This record gives sequence, C-alpha cells and structure tokens, in this order.
Amino acid sequence: MENFALEGLSGEGEAIDEVTENLNPIAQETLRNLLRVWLDFEMRLGKVPVLRRLDLGTFTRKDYMRLLMNLRQQVIEGSRWITRAASSFDRSHAQLRSIVIGHAKDEHKDYEILEKDYVALGGNKDDIVGGERNLGSEALHAFLYHRASLPNPIDMIGAMFIIEGLGEKMANSWADKIEEQAECGKEATRFLRYHGENDETHMQRFYEMLNMVAISEERSKRIVKTARVVGRLYAMQLEELDIL
Amino acid sequence: MNDVFITSTGAFLPGPPIDNEQVEDVLGLVNGKKSKLKRRILKSNGIQKRHYAIDAEQKTQFQNEDMAVAAARQCLERSFIDPSDVGMLSVGTTQGDMVLPGFGSLVQAGLEIPSVELNTSHGICSSSMMALKAAFNSLRLDEHDNALVVGSELASRLLKKSRYEAATEAICSERIDFDAEFLRWMLSDGAGAFLLQNKPAPRGKSFRINWMRSFSHADAFPTCMSVGHSGKKGETKRWQDYTTYADAEKDGAILIRQDVRLLENIVKLGVDGFLRLIEEGQVQADDVDHFLCHYSSHYFRGKIVEMLTAGGAMIPEEKWYTNLYERGNTGCASLFIMLDEFARTQDYKAGDTVFCHVPESGRFNTVYVHLTVVEG
Repeated sequence: MENFALEGLSGEGEAIDEVTENLNPIAQETLRNLLRVWLDFEMRLGKVPVLRRLDLGTFTRKDYMRLLMNLRQQVIEGSRWITRAASSFDRSHAQLRSIVIGHAKDEHKDYEILEKDYVALGGNKDDIVGGERNLGSEALHAFLYHRASLPNPIDMIGAMFIIEGLGEKMANSWADKIEEQAECGKEATRFLRYHGENDETHMQRFYEMLNMVAISEERSKRIVKTARVVGRLYAMQLEELDIL
Repeated sequence: MNDVFITSTGAFLPGPPIDNEQVEDVLGLVNGKKSKLKRRILKSNGIQKRHYAIDAEQKTQFQNEDMAVAAARQCLERSFIDPSDVGMLSVGTTQGDMVLPGFGSLVQAGLEIPSVELNTSHGICSSSMMALKAAFNSLRLDEHDNALVVGSELASRLLKKSRYEAATEAICSERIDFDAEFLRWMLSDGAGAFLLQNKPAPRGKSFRINWMRSFSHADAFPTCMSVGHSGKKGETKRWQDYTTYADAEKDGAILIRQDVRLLENIVKLGVDGFLRLIEEGQVQADDVDHFLCHYSSHYFRGKIVEMLTAGGAMIPEEKWYTNLYERGNTGCASLFIMLDEFARTQDYKAGDTVFCHVPESGRFNTVYVHLTVVEG
C-alpha cells in the first residue's frame, strides 16, 4: 500500500506528450473522444460487483480464481481476432498489417501465464482449460471476430485502445490490490503484471497506428464506436462473474 | 436570465505563514514522535507554506466563522455596496464550528447583516462551489441583485496530535496509518469570499460568470476522503452509532482519512469533466487565457498535464495560476483565495477568459466555472 502511495506521489509524467502532439488533427480529436469513452468505461467498471469489492477491500481469493477462470476464456481468443484482423487488411494497408501481426505475436501465449496464475492459487489446470466463455465473453468475442473479419477493419484500434488500456492503466493497480486482498504473492499475478509492464509500449504502437488510420471523420466515428462497444461488452463479461 | 459578475473578492489566512519545518511545531508530535511520512508527502505536494487557526499548543485562535467573517468583511470593504444591502449569504465549508445550526447562520451573525436569504452548502472542497452556484442562480433569476459567497475551512482542529493519540483502538496497520496521516501534511486553514452582483463594479475589473457545471460520481466510486468511519473493513457503524462519542474517537471513527489508493481517480474524473464540456462546446482548450485549478498536490499537476496532453486538450502551462504552494491547500476556500490573489497580483485584461476547476476527492465531485474579465 505504502509503496503505491509513495510511488504515485513521487512519479514523473511519462513522455507520451511528444507522440500525441504529433498526431494529425483528426487523430487528435479521435484520441480525445476515445479518452472520454475510456473514462466512461472506467466508471462503468467501478460499478461492476467484483471490481467494486476490490475497491472496497472485500475481494477474496475465490473472487480472483473466478476472475481468472472467466478472463482466460476470452484471453485465449485474443490472438485469434488480432490475426484475423491482420489478414483482413489488403495490400494498401500492408504497413498496418505488419504492426498488427507483430502485436498478435506478442500476445498469442499470454493465456498460458494466466493459467499458471490460476494453478499458483491452488486451482486445477484442467478446470481452467475446460472452462466456458461466459455470456459477456461470448458477446465480446463475437463482436470482435465479426469486426475483424470485415475488409480493412481499421476500427479494431478502438478495441485495442480499450483492451491495451486495461493493461496499461489498470493491471498493476488491480494486481496490487489482489495481492493484498486475495492473500497471494506475485507468483499468482504474473498475467496482470505482464500486461501492466508491457502495455505501455503497446500504447505507443497504438498512437502510431491511430495516426495512420484516423484520417477521416467517418473513420474516426467508427473507431470510437467500436471502442465504446468493446468497453460495454468487456464490462458485461466481468458483470457475469456475479450472475453465474 | 441576468448576467452575474464577481465584483469583489476577499481572503483571510490566520496567523503567520508556517513553513515545512514548523508544521509539527504547530500540529504537535503524535506520541512525542516525529512523523516518518511527512517529508515525503510534503515533497510530493510541493506546499511550502500554509496557515493554521490553532497555535503551537493546539489552542484555537480563530473559529471557522471568524475566518469566514474576516474574508467576507474584506470583500465587502473592497466593494461598492453597503454591508446592510447584502441580499443573499451563501456559505460553504467542510465542517462548521458547531454540528448545528448551519454554518451560514453563524457567519451571518458574525457579519451582523440583516434579513438575508441564507444558504449553507455541505461537502468538502466543492462545498463552496455549491454555495457559489446557488448564489449565481439566485441572481440569474433576479431574486437578488447581490450575493455574498464565502468558502471557509478550519482543518487543523482535525489534524492536531491529540486526535491521533486518542484513537487508541484504531487499526494500526501501515495502510490505515497512512490513510489517516496523509491529510495532516496536506490541509490547512483559511477563508475566501466573493461578492456577486448583477452588474460589473463601476470601476476596475469584474469577472462575469458565464456558466458553472459540476459532475458528481458518488454512484460509481467508493468514499475516498472522510470523517465519521473507522476505516475498518466491513464496519457499518458511523461515528454517531457508537454508544459514546469517546468510543467513536477511540476507534478512529473521527479521524480524517484519505484512501490514497482511490485518489488518482480524481485526476481522471477532472479531465473527464473537462472533455465533456469540450464535447458540449462550452469551452475550448485554446480559448482559455487563465486556468485556475485547485489541485491539492503538485504531484497531481503532472498527472493532469499528462492526461490533458494525451487527450489533445492541454492548456499551456504558462496559463496556469495557483497559490497552493504559498497559501496551502485550504479545501473549499482554495479557489476563492486563489482568485482573490490572482485578481490582485496577476496581469489580465478585459475579454480574457478564466477557467476554474475544483475537484473534490471525498466521493468524487468535479466543478468547473467559466469567467470572462469585464471592465466596469
């Protein structure tokens, strides 16, 4: 706890200024709208029962195991929709395609880390491997797969903004609280820590892509809408933990 | 609706400025020991000086109402109206001197102004902004042609050593200690006042209030700053639910606490409100000439800059003004004390826009005020 506070208190701003200042005007406006979507999303997350317990300090080890069990079923699909999106970019978007392929490669085995976290908590690997997608995960997966299958799905960076944003902005603080409340060590929060540490570089990649694709009002709107839908469905996926 | 102008300002800071080395001389050493956290928290909040209404023996030298009255008097003395003509008195504070009656009644009594319409707003940093909004609306609706608005704060009574020493049964885990001690190095005392009128002052500059908006997020976030709960997980009792007030104090239920882990949300929500207002077309980052932001700590300034930049809505730092570092974080009085000093010491001209932001971390309320400078 003290670490967080003091770390936070003495922290220096990160150098994203230069990147974001060089965005084209439409990308800049898109980013502003995405930030609003993000903040709405965060507020929605604040009301999701399992995360509210985490805020209130009443989150348990059982909650954490259930969270991992549910997340894993979506995470394992992650590289599928990212590679699908990559294959949907035609030759005029080759550069973008390369970046997306690189991203998929980074992420394609992160579910294995998650499974190890689950086992570290005393869970049985067969249980998590054999788990099903919850209703929110079904909806999220279906939506992402659908959008990724359309020709030149540039709006997928709206999805990336939300999902990488979770890693960049939330994962470490969740891991801190989880370690305290679920009474587990770092051996059980490696998945969150991995994203907490790497998603910042992924966000740099995001800004680069945004500048390339956000070049018309129409595209800007579509990117923002996809981000909004992904945020809503992601929250639904987490809400499902308490509806089972 | 009528135009409304801030035509005069006043402020009051009790006693001499207290520098960082002297803070514990005034608030006292808890159980005779120096704080281990003080230096680090002060380094991060950047506050160099502040004022306290208590003396080095922790005896109250000025009541909260005394400070409110002093600031209000100064504001009226600088104005073109007679105190007896005040139509409305609208007052905000975090904690009045008495549990009841309302703080406004005590301030009115101190000011000896007759037959006003009275409003007392309750909250933390945003309470004075609620008081300002009530007065602003009353003048817009032509119910009064002037209103005196006061924000006043006496935090040091909550921060003196005896408060902590009395909490003998409080949980003493590191975290709770931190939460309960954090604000000791953040808050201090003072008061500020505005006179609102439906016409600019006949001479000198006034500030037209173009609009005021606030967004509260208590539905989405847990309590972040509080007095009245022990901070123990699962505890449902509030301070008055204990058999005696002494029991509540022992249990740490009357300590002022800040859940530091939740605190960064205030930056996000502050930026969120600003982006909403941009989206609505109420304000544009490029059109702000002066930005007065009641951030409670220098640390947050960096965070706000970072987020505004990320959102492409940065207000250049040369347009920012604050007197936090020299006057301290006086809670709901801060913005009033800030605008008062801004008005008297900074360069600004007719037509300039002044954008003010007051975030409250209590349970997350963010307030925005948009002003234009006018010449009388």
